[in-house]
Amino acid sequence: MRPPFSISSIDPFLLFLMATVAVASLLPVHGAAAIWFSVIADLAIALLFFLHGAKLSRDAIIQGIGNWRLHLLVFGSTYLLFPTIGLASVELAGGWIDPLLLSGLLYLTLLPSTVQSSIAFTAIAGGNVAAAVCSASLSNLIGIILTPLLVSQMMRVDGSGAQMSWHSIESIVLQLLLPFLAGHLLRPLIGGLVARNKSILQVVDRGSILLVVYSAFSAAVVNGIWNILGWRDMLALGALSVAILAMVMGVNVLAATLLRLPREDAIVLLFCGSKKSLVSGVPMAGALFAPASVGMIVLPLMIFHQLQLFVCAALAARFRRQIEAAEVEKSQRPALPRTEADAVARAAELGMTIPAACMPGVLANLALLDRHAERLFVQDDTACA
Amino acid sequence: MRMNSALAIAAAVRNREVSAVELVDDCLSALESEGRRLVAVTRILTERARREAAAVDAAIAAGRDPGPLAGVPYGVKDLFDVAGLPTTSGSSLYANAPSATADAEVIQRLSDAGAILVATLNMDEFAYGFATINARHGTTRNPHDADRLAGGSSGGSAAAVAAHLLPFSLGSDTNGSVRVPASLTGIYGLKPTHGGLPMGGVFPFAESFDDVGPFTLSVADMQCVWTVLTGKSSEASDSAIRVARLGGRFRDNAHPDQIAAIDRIASDGPLIDLPHIAQARSAAFLITAAEGGALHREALARDPMAFDPATRDRLLAGALLPPTLIETAQAFRARYKAMIADLIADHDVLLAPSTPCVAPLIADPRILIDGDLSPARADLGIHSQPISFTGLPSLSVPLRRPGRLPLGIQLIGKPGGETLLFRFAAMLEEQRLTGVSSPAGVSAEVFLGDFA
Repeated sequence: MRPPFSISSIDPFLLFLMATVAVASLLPVHGAAAIWFSVIADLAIALLFFLHGAKLSRDAIIQGIGNWRLHLLVFGSTYLLFPTIGLASVELAGGWIDPLLLSGLLYLTLLPSTVQSSIAFTAIAGGNVAAAVCSASLSNLIGIILTPLLVSQMMRVDGSGAQMSWHSIESIVLQLLLPFLAGHLLRPLIGGLVARNKSILQVVDRGSILLVVYSAFSAAVVNGIWNILGWRDMLALGALSVAILAMVMGVNVLAATLLRLPREDAIVLLFCGSKKSLVSGVPMAGALFAPASVGMIVLPLMIFHQLQLFVCAALAARFRRQIEAAEVEKSQRPALPRTEADAVARAAELGMTIPAACMPGVLANLALLDRHAERLFVQDDTACA
Repeated sequence: MRMNSALAIAAAVRNREVSAVELVDDCLSALESEGRRLVAVTRILTERARREAAAVDAAIAAGRDPGPLAGVPYGVKDLFDVAGLPTTSGSSLYANAPSATADAEVIQRLSDAGAILVATLNMDEFAYGFATINARHGTTRNPHDADRLAGGSSGGSAAAVAAHLLPFSLGSDTNGSVRVPASLTGIYGLKPTHGGLPMGGVFPFAESFDDVGPFTLSVADMQCVWTVLTGKSSEASDSAIRVARLGGRFRDNAHPDQIAAIDRIASDGPLIDLPHIAQARSAAFLITAAEGGALHREALARDPMAFDPATRDRLLAGALLPPTLIETAQAFRARYKAMIADLIADHDVLLAPSTPCVAPLIADPRILIDGDLSPARADLGIHSQPISFTGLPSLSVPLRRPGRLPLGIQLIGKPGGETLLFRFAAMLEEQRLTGVSSPAGVSAEVFLGDFA
């Protein structure tokens, strides 16, 4: 039975997240402090990838790279599903909100996925981190070329996009791939340390998300996003963002279910396939659109970005709780005899002896029963508890 | 002579078109030859059968009505108490056990209705299996293809009826031991609402799920036997029957013909996904293993090698399960039953496959589950076991498919809803969507045709 709602039932990470949003709204970082803050955030992200590089085995990385079905699904979600929903939303919302904001809405659906937060959320949720690193990086790198192409085909543009491309490549390589590679190369030295101290990685995972959230909300406040928009446009954009995100996530969950993706891969699809990158989107807009319209064009992206961070943080925390609950449950689960010694001891308790000729068959049957016991204890939110 | 209809036989006997003794003698000789060939029979009760048949004929001669099953021969799975015989549950361990002092309660009820017990029938040892592979008696053959399994654990009871050696028989169903062989041999098989029929004098297997159930060749016979066994007359009703289809895992592991038939029968019926079906099956698996193991613990401690090799290791492993695990599984079951009752509240009949496939070959007793090969003995009950877990009644009806290997589907009802299942099954039979297809070489004519 799930406990009734109470403050204590909220995940502490979500409380931190809400506090971060409140602090960013009241005390946004700006000016010189913002530059230092940006450096700290970059270092935290680099550290995050360094630690994941040290944690993941070579086999896991190779398996992650080779998971083509998953990469195609993430790619399809980012560059097919999102744009389709974007076009439909623009069609439906035409006449209701400012056309420039609508262009911004369509623009956001053409952007690449975020890299850092997608991977951090995947890690928090217990997903396939190796595949997420590969999928999100690949999607982002392809986006450098594909997004301007899509924008040029589907929207009116005024710039070249070249300036942004190099910046994105540079930041992906410096912030993500190099630290990841360095961590992995040092794995023989520090891999054991990282594996033994899981809490370090957890702090860095969650800390980096909080830094991103603080940074994004601060920027929104400093740029006066909440003042530029009228309440009607704000509400309409908020509702459209919620609808787009819900649709994309819903389709991804359905695809994962239909294709029977393992839970770890389904998490990657959910997080990497439902994100849009503010880091890529803002400079790209500066390069693609007329300066006077850039502010309004990126507004929907900024709102969507806040929403996706919050929703994904809540989901990741929920998945983490499920994993932790399953681990606790597993540790408390009555143990079946698994070895010959266990079986002999348990039989002796019952006044029985297992003939040697029967032992292989008994152990095979115990292994089968153990699998059934494991399935019985699978934790699920919809379990008939 | 072929035994196709219990009702027709009873009518012929009561009308003196044939004597019960004559009929029983024919039946006994068919069991001796064909029944033995199919390895369906464990003991032929010649003396008792002739005595009972003579009593039926005497009653009719004296102008008394012997009952609705007058002179109808039948057999029982080898785990029912039969007065004067040891109850073996298909095991050598009990071959020399003290004889039962009275018939099982259901046998008494059938005798009171004029039916004549002629044989005990083959089964997996202690009913633990879906294959009827028995070390002592041999493997029961499927009348539709002797190279294939008849299913189990009530395989002998199913094969004897499917081969038209008997018009009906009794089996027991713990996790599907009536429905699985009914599906594989193409006849009707009922698992009643849990606790719906008396279990007095029945050798238990896993008491949380054990039920007895009949096999027949028609819905009308099933209804008649059910009425005799319960002592309740069926209430006529013409209310609309709300039908739904079970989806998810039930459709993932099914023969395309079963899916097509279910969709045809209930083209407008909603598709219901019973949640946590795999967990339900696992809980059932664990409870069964533990209860089976606990039941035989003393015998396993005394002489484990006396058990059938096919069940020995399973029972030993089940005996070693920690009680707390079973308490958890039972608690899950209680919650699950309540949840399912809510979920199906708006439907009268649920449709699902009885087995995931046609009868497997005896030489390679494996079946595909979720794309992987697994032992038929353990997994043929993948669709029946979760229903047993809920305690709901389920009637396996044969799809009409002459010339092809049989397949059945389950009509699952609400607790106590057997009568409604029969009404729905009769509609399907009338529409020729379901019905028994006789094995090659077996006459499909009803019993009276043999006298015409």
